Amino acid sequence: MSTKTDALIHGLSLDLAPVVPGFVARRIALGLGLGGLGSVIVMLAWLGPRPDLAQAMLTPMFWMKVGYAAATGLMLALVLARLARPAARPGVLAAVAAAPFALVSLMAAARMAQAAPDAYRSLLMGHSSMICPWRILLVGLPILIGAVWAVRGLAPTRLVLSGLVAGGCAGALGAAVYAIACDETSAPFLAIWYTAGMALVAALGALGGSRLLRWR
Amino acid sequence: MDEIEPRLRALMLAGLAGEAEPYRRLLDQLSGLLRAYYGRRCPPGVDAEDLVQETLIAVHTRRATYDAGQPFTAWAYAIARYKLIDALRRGRAHLRAPVEAAEALFVAPGADAAMAGRDLERVMADLPARTRSLIRDVKLTGLSTREAAEKYGMTESAVKVAVHRGLKALGARYGGSDVDED
Repeated sequence: MSTKTDALIHGLSLDLAPVVPGFVARRIALGLGLGGLGSVIVMLAWLGPRPDLAQAMLTPMFWMKVGYAAATGLMLALVLARLARPAARPGVLAAVAAAPFALVSLMAAARMAQAAPDAYRSLLMGHSSMICPWRILLVGLPILIGAVWAVRGLAPTRLVLSGLVAGGCAGALGAAVYAIACDETSAPFLAIWYTAGMALVAALGALGGSRLLRWR
Repeated sequence: MDEIEPRLRALMLAGLAGEAEPYRRLLDQLSGLLRAYYGRRCPPGVDAEDLVQETLIAVHTRRATYDAGQPFTAWAYAIARYKLIDALRRGRAHLRAPVEAAEALFVAPGADAAMAGRDLERVMADLPARTRSLIRDVKLTGLSTREAAEKYGMTESAVKVAVHRGLKALGARYGGSDVDED
């Protein structure tokens, strides 16, 4: 027994505001929302929307790019909300978050199967494959900052995994923002290079996780 | 463990709703459990009581991350283990916090001691009856060598030798670390 600990317990029980339900979800939504705002500003100021945005929005390919990235990002946000709690497990949600990628990969394979061999190169590489992942990294960075802010204010206990998921989520949402600036139109390009961009941000999150997400 | 979970969970839910008295009782019971948990695992150079207090503060400031649909014991154990890992890292000790079941924090007090007593009886069953009762009297009940010598009508040195040989036999049979005689 310790009188100091008893005094602490007494003090803590006096400082007891009722907890609002949905606190975890709201904090993560706030972090991702503010980060997303920053991401849109970076995209607009640096790259600008594609000039033919109005026409592009009438094509399924535009929505496939936005849809793939946004769906992956939102599912990873749900996984992140779990990992921000002690003792929580990602569970089947983590597998579900890979479903959009599986779908896009299938569509990419189907597209490649019916293409003539001399079109392979342009389908796979487009004209921006070497810069696309790096742009997604930079556009996703503000969202990663927002995600890290949100999660370290909660109580993650698996820091590297939480960092990986925070990065994957930020990368995917950043890719959805980047899709407004990007004029690539092939499913194979999307499956490879958008995914590579998301993976870059995820790797950054995992590398920084144990330091950035540590809380006291 | 089976009764601790519903009891602590009920106190936690009342605390989350803002009721100070159940919440104070929760922290009070947790502090006892944490003291036992860290007492056995605290890295050298770290005060276990500091860890207890840090963990109580973390439980308090992060209480919004408790999901009423999850076991409270698992939640509290994850925070306790996180704090232990944090202390190990801070001390740059090349030690790792073992992965255990949540029972590591929530065993009933005294369960370890009761278990040890039962094991000891089983182990000593192989010794001669006289040696067994000598060891029990001198090492467990706390009789002095002289009192034991009078009780069994032996000389003091004979008592010492018998106890020593008995412990040595146990040590040889069950291996591992040397038997501590003092």
